[in-house]
Amino acid sequence: MLGYYLRLAWLSLKRTPAITLLMIGAIALGIGATTTTLTVYHRMSTNPIAHRNDVLRAVTLDSWSPDRPWDSDRPELPPPELTYRDAVAIAAGAPASRIVAMRKTSFTADPGAGRPPFLVEARLATRDFFAMFDVPFAYGTGWGGRADQNAEPVVVLSKETNGKLFGGENSVGRALKLDGREYRVIGVLADWQPTPKFYDLNNGEYDTPEDVFLPFALGAALDLQPAGNVNCWKAETLAGVHDLFGSNCVWHQLWAELRTPAEVQRFQGWIDGYVAEQQKLGRFPRKINNRLYDVDQWLERHKVVGRDSRVLLIVSFAFLAVCVLNVVGLLLSRFLGGAGSSAIRRALGASRGEIFRQHLVEVGLVGALAGLGGLALGALGLKALEQLYSSYDRLTHLDLAMVLAAIALAVLAGLLAGLYPAWRICRVQPASYLKTQ
Amino acid sequence: MLDMQHVTKVYRTDLVETHALRDFNLEVAEGEFVAVTGPSGSGKTTFLNIAGLLESADGGHYRLDGDDIGTLGDDARARIRNQKIGFIFQGFNLIPDLDVFDNVDVPLRYRGFAARERRSRIERSLELVGLAARMQHLPSQLSGGQQQRVAIARAIAGEPRFLLADEPTGNLDSLMARQIMDLLGEINRQGTTIILVTHDPELARRAHRNIHVMDGQVTDLKPFAARSGAAVA
Amino acid sequence: MEIRPILSALLRNRTGALLVGLQVAITLAVIANAFFIIEERLAKIHRPTGIDSPGLIVAESEGYAPDYEHAATLAADLAMLKAIPGVLAVTPTNSVPLSGGGSANTYQLTPDPKAPPIGGNYFEVNSDFVEAFGLKLVAGRNFRPEEYVPVPPNNDLPPVLIVTETMAKTLFGGEPAVGRRIYDNDGKSAEIIGVVSDMHGSWLDNTNPGPYDVVFHPNGGLGKSWRYAIRVRPGERDRLIPEIEKRLNSSGHGRAIPWVRAHDYWLVRTFRADRRMVVFLSTLVILMTAVTALGIVGLATFQVNARRKQIGTRRALGARRADIVRYFLIENGMLGAGGVVIGALLAYVASSWLTRAFQMPPLPPLYVIGSAVALLVLGQLAVLWPARRAGAIDPAVATRTV
Repeated sequence: MLGYYLRLAWLSLKRTPAITLLMIGAIALGIGATTTTLTVYHRMSTNPIAHRNDVLRAVTLDSWSPDRPWDSDRPELPPPELTYRDAVAIAAGAPASRIVAMRKTSFTADPGAGRPPFLVEARLATRDFFAMFDVPFAYGTGWGGRADQNAEPVVVLSKETNGKLFGGENSVGRALKLDGREYRVIGVLADWQPTPKFYDLNNGEYDTPEDVFLPFALGAALDLQPAGNVNCWKAETLAGVHDLFGSNCVWHQLWAELRTPAEVQRFQGWIDGYVAEQQKLGRFPRKINNRLYDVDQWLERHKVVGRDSRVLLIVSFAFLAVCVLNVVGLLLSRFLGGAGSSAIRRALGASRGEIFRQHLVEVGLVGALAGLGGLALGALGLKALEQLYSSYDRLTHLDLAMVLAAIALAVLAGLLAGLYPAWRICRVQPASYLKTQ
Repeated sequence: MLDMQHVTKVYRTDLVETHALRDFNLEVAEGEFVAVTGPSGSGKTTFLNIAGLLESADGGHYRLDGDDIGTLGDDARARIRNQKIGFIFQGFNLIPDLDVFDNVDVPLRYRGFAARERRSRIERSLELVGLAARMQHLPSQLSGGQQQRVAIARAIAGEPRFLLADEPTGNLDSLMARQIMDLLGEINRQGTTIILVTHDPELARRAHRNIHVMDGQVTDLKPFAARSGAAVA
Repeated sequence: MEIRPILSALLRNRTGALLVGLQVAITLAVIANAFFIIEERLAKIHRPTGIDSPGLIVAESEGYAPDYEHAATLAADLAMLKAIPGVLAVTPTNSVPLSGGGSANTYQLTPDPKAPPIGGNYFEVNSDFVEAFGLKLVAGRNFRPEEYVPVPPNNDLPPVLIVTETMAKTLFGGEPAVGRRIYDNDGKSAEIIGVVSDMHGSWLDNTNPGPYDVVFHPNGGLGKSWRYAIRVRPGERDRLIPEIEKRLNSSGHGRAIPWVRAHDYWLVRTFRADRRMVVFLSTLVILMTAVTALGIVGLATFQVNARRKQIGTRRALGARRADIVRYFLIENGMLGAGGVVIGALLAYVASSWLTRAFQMPPLPPLYVIGSAVALLVLGQLAVLWPARRAGAIDPAVATRTV
């Protein structure tokens, strides 16, 4: 019967091409708008490391001022970054499967051979960074415990930086001059673009990852200047970068890998104990408020999906609703206008259910066609977005999930629109249409 | 009161040319009850449309109450229809979403009467047709005969110069048909001119004068019954 | 006018009217709020910068070599830049107005560490900053050239400061600021020696400090990277950017020049999100309104066809063309009015959600009223075409029996 209904539906749609196009167009427009906003929303809010979400924890301590909270709008939150002292102490002593302390800095890279020097964004991290965040390597590896301990001058390059400096070839073992000092390349990353940059949402959540990675200890060994947010609640006399290390300023990020709930509990207990100890030494004037966040919670805390995207998403759905209502009206007039032929079918023995299903297939077809149209419009909208949005162009990529979602949404919208009209038409009394008046 | 002289009407399509009325002549005096009969296709409907100002003639003169209809524009025709003609249709043509009161009200609204005036006219005409008790009913809640009576009430509420009835009993059973004709007779006795268009000679008998139409022309002017007052030529 | 019978008829046959009414309601709820948001964003985009943005070039310098000398490089750069024909003024600076990046400090009116902290977006500049940014001195005096410390020993407050007019008001209300002292929470203080016209600071959306709460410190920073804000003669900017880049790149030792840009670069980037929002919302508003208008046309056309006999009858009973058109206008006006009332309620529901979830200000009634009027007018215009087609229906339709 489905094939028969499809054929009837096709004939019916062909009979009134203008109205048919109008219906398809209306739903397609609504789907197009929704696809565009939904894609961006989806990309913004995806957890790029969802498969490790449960074992990773961002660590925050409330080391802030006794007189006011970190965020006056949300006073229960501790600052998202830590002091140098606390990051180092916890990384060294806390019980965790893996742990990473890190922060940003920047260098001027000197490619030599007469080429001009250029700025590189760098991340200083302890060795667990690569394993914890599932960072893929194209060549070489990260560094080990000894490099961390001795602040060895080694460096891992991002794929793009390796391309800029060494033409993309295997540069393991080569030398690179950063800020006038020589470093040895020990690894090159493969393509890695987590969106958003979950591991450091405070410093450019949609930026590409850093250009180079180096052992964390180099930061203190060389007094490397900070390149991200630095916040201090107490005015202290700081004569240079060196003074930052002992200050109350928060500028480090800390993540722990805790594989079981017991590990989480143990870790929480340890850092609470650590803070209590520090309070005896006069630090941490606020109540103990050490929070661990898994990646989802971390993204949520930072409200990574901006309000604009949420508002646009809601408006798109409202638009889709208006389109659906529109199509309901069009379908009603179409179906009731064609009531004569349905009346004849009923007279010839079709049941109400059969008339209902026949018309539902027709709207389903409209929905499917609208889905394709809507996808095309959505792709157009995303292209337009790219123009206006170029630093976020990884957010405008339509993946398979979204394509399927768009089509499914269109068919659903069509069926929804068609339910009432199909019900109305199957309830029509055949006699009133068959009388020769 | 109504005077048609040499009226013609031609319908042209791509393929055929139909002369619905040719050299049609008719005079109706005030207070008459005239029947216009003829087989289907004879042109009675065209006559009806032209008499009722629903269509314009292609040739000849039509004078109604002294005014020459031929030169009038659409708005003026509508006004005359509204004020001078009361229509009664075969299919009743009541508006299904309006109740009886509002249905009778329709032409009065276009007349511009004040609310009180309209109300009193509606009540009076519904009284006359015997449906005053059903003012809030919808047409779907009435029988065919009752619906036609509402239509008659609608037609007379504005005190038109004449009623134009098109097969008023065509959709009714014989009992209701008789009631409607009795009602029309009563209305005529009270002084309203009636032009009845029908193919049923039995109905035509009720009129004072019968005009027979065939092939677009008047063929017969024989009276069927004596009429109070003047004799016919 | 026949409002009551039209209303009764409408109520008895509600489905189509309900559908269109809902469309009108949803559209109104959306466009009232959308117009409000759009207006807010446009105001933000067109906020006065206070600086001569079209005439401003910014260059970044990064000292990296171990033997890099900051003070000497700075002095040489300033001399070289000021000598370039077309350059009007240069100041070193730590950050760029409206760039989204910068530094903020908290200042207090008394030395008491528990005094309420007042945020200020500070810029580290020399005495040429007024000319370089294109500001005006409105009270007190400018820094003297010797008051500028290119390599300060630490990050303490400098002895003298200049604030913007808005910052002065934030600190002292309407009282004059020149001569007053302000403190950090470590007991150190500085004297305010001058007030300049407002300059928009680093960030757009902060409230403490607000966008115009700017303080000027006459010193360099602690690090080896800084920027130059270079003001040039009108029309010379695009020509001078490559010139400046060339000269900076070929001078100075052990430092790199990552970029030299027009200040425009940040204006475009910073407002990109807001511009995008304006464009998107406007597009959706137009589409929604168009679809709703089409819905009205569609419903009316359906009614005209369904009511052919009725319309013919009305014409037979004396309705003129204009009367038929007026019927449709009144009917459409009624369902428009109904839709608008529901839409207004929905608009406020949506607005209160926006306020709760995103700290947006509440929707002023003007937007709802204005959008409602616009929708009603549009709806009436839309229905005009099918209404006139209805008016053209031949009255002879009444007597036809097929």
